[in-house]
Amino acid sequence: MGTATGIIKALNSGVKHLAVKRFTLRYPEQKLKLVGDGYQFDPATGVGIAGYKGRHMLFHDHCTGCNLCSIACEGVAEAIGMVKVPNTWKHNKKAIMPQIDYGKCVFCGLCVDACPFYALYMSNDYELSSFTKEGLIYTPQQLQVKPNVQQDAEIQIDDRGATHG
Amino acid sequence: MTEQIPTDQTKELPPGLQLEKVDDRIMTLNVGPQHPGSGHMRIIVRIDGDYIVDADPDPGYVHRGEEKMAEVRNYLLNIPHLERPVIHDSCNILYPYVLGVEDLVGIEVPERAKYVRVIAAELNRCVYTQYWLAIYGIFLGHSTMFMWPAGDRELMIDLLEKMTGARVTHSYFIPGGVRNDIPANFEDVCLRQVNYFEKRIKEYADIFYDNPILKARTEDTGVLSSQDAIRLGTTGSVLRASGIDYDVRVKEPYDVYEELDVHTNVLKDGDSYARSKIPWLDMLESCNIIRQALEKMPKSGSVRTKLKPNPKGVGNDEVYRRVESGRGAAGMHIISNGKPEPYRVKISPGSFRNLIALPYLLKGEKLGNMPAVYWSLNYWPVEADR
Repeated sequence: MGTATGIIKALNSGVKHLAVKRFTLRYPEQKLKLVGDGYQFDPATGVGIAGYKGRHMLFHDHCTGCNLCSIACEGVAEAIGMVKVPNTWKHNKKAIMPQIDYGKCVFCGLCVDACPFYALYMSNDYELSSFTKEGLIYTPQQLQVKPNVQQDAEIQIDDRGATHG
Repeated sequence: MTEQIPTDQTKELPPGLQLEKVDDRIMTLNVGPQHPGSGHMRIIVRIDGDYIVDADPDPGYVHRGEEKMAEVRNYLLNIPHLERPVIHDSCNILYPYVLGVEDLVGIEVPERAKYVRVIAAELNRCVYTQYWLAIYGIFLGHSTMFMWPAGDRELMIDLLEKMTGARVTHSYFIPGGVRNDIPANFEDVCLRQVNYFEKRIKEYADIFYDNPILKARTEDTGVLSSQDAIRLGTTGSVLRASGIDYDVRVKEPYDVYEELDVHTNVLKDGDSYARSKIPWLDMLESCNIIRQALEKMPKSGSVRTKLKPNPKGVGNDEVYRRVESGRGAAGMHIISNGKPEPYRVKISPGSFRNLIALPYLLKGEKLGNMPAVYWSLNYWPVEADR
């Protein structure tokens, strides 16, 4: 193949892309649809349930204040600290619950694997930016709020290329 | 008249420093460590006019002490930080560690988990290679080759995100299998996107690999003969581009690579062009492997053998396992002394093996060819520095 033919072929390959759909996620308007309601773990079988590893969800009625999530995080990011909670339940005699610093969390999900009481899951919420460092620290009260996410863009593939719906 | 700057030649310099002898012809250039053309690494290049007389790579700028960190954490908590050296290829860098710990602790892995791991590792290889290809393109001045791989990489990242729950640092492999089963209906989505991905990367041939401008730039630059490739101890794409048929997936198959038909891509030229083409051919091969693995994978079953909370090695024991990562053979040497924490974890990454070839390849090249030769080594500074 001569030089001229090669260059024309290369240019042609680019020109063909004028007819190909644009493969760009227009992010704040479009958000990618994620699998399930977030990463969960089933201690009975010892296997996790597929899902996005985003901001945590804490179920106050399951948490016993056993510290295991905090111990697991000590070797990873030291993001989880146990804090006193004012109201006490029968199952949480220590009245402590995890508080997570998202300035440190690496979203590995090993704290979820460590929880034997189905109290800590991860959710699809990944928009956690804050103007202050204190804003990144989520208290147990903030962690029990179910995130309101609207994610519906999916990769669609047809003859003219792939798009985000 | 310029004033002569007084130099105190008698003053003793601190140990390790020496005054550079000024030569009329030879000039020393520091490329990096914050220069985008070198990655996070310094290359000390000495040039005579436009020709490189001597090149001295100086890695270590992004050293993080991963090996030391591994000594104070237990076998499970080591997982998130051991994948940090190559976040774009996190499954493959974690693979030898996980295989090694399984040998140490003595646990069996379910059949389905082995296939899931192979799929995740091959998807991750594509993610890494696309990223590398984008960088290789932009440093050769081919900005289309930066945009296309960076965009098509999204298809593979999307699949990994569905599998593992994270886009880059997955923390997915664990001694005993994988953290979670693949989601329902994943096989269909995976097959569709992998097929489209393969069709897309085949289009790179016209615009990049068969492009006469790229060939003029990379052919016959930085030629590494097959004897030298073996002598210097290079691995992966650098070794295979010099005509040596060596792939850990074929020569020392781990998990289920034995049951899959893996073709090793070998080119004979040993120049920058061959070294840049091998990873692209490997991506096409990865698509084949993923399709085979999806077909042969058991449709149901466990994906993880339950571990005790603090797994320990049995007494004084050591194990060395290696896998074929995106940059060559990546190995981990784990020594246990019966405690929950490993006594020593030695990471042996492919990048570091390939860097040694750089001074030999750059000698006599034009300075303008430096990015073409350097990036063709498939070198990832963060991995080499650990």
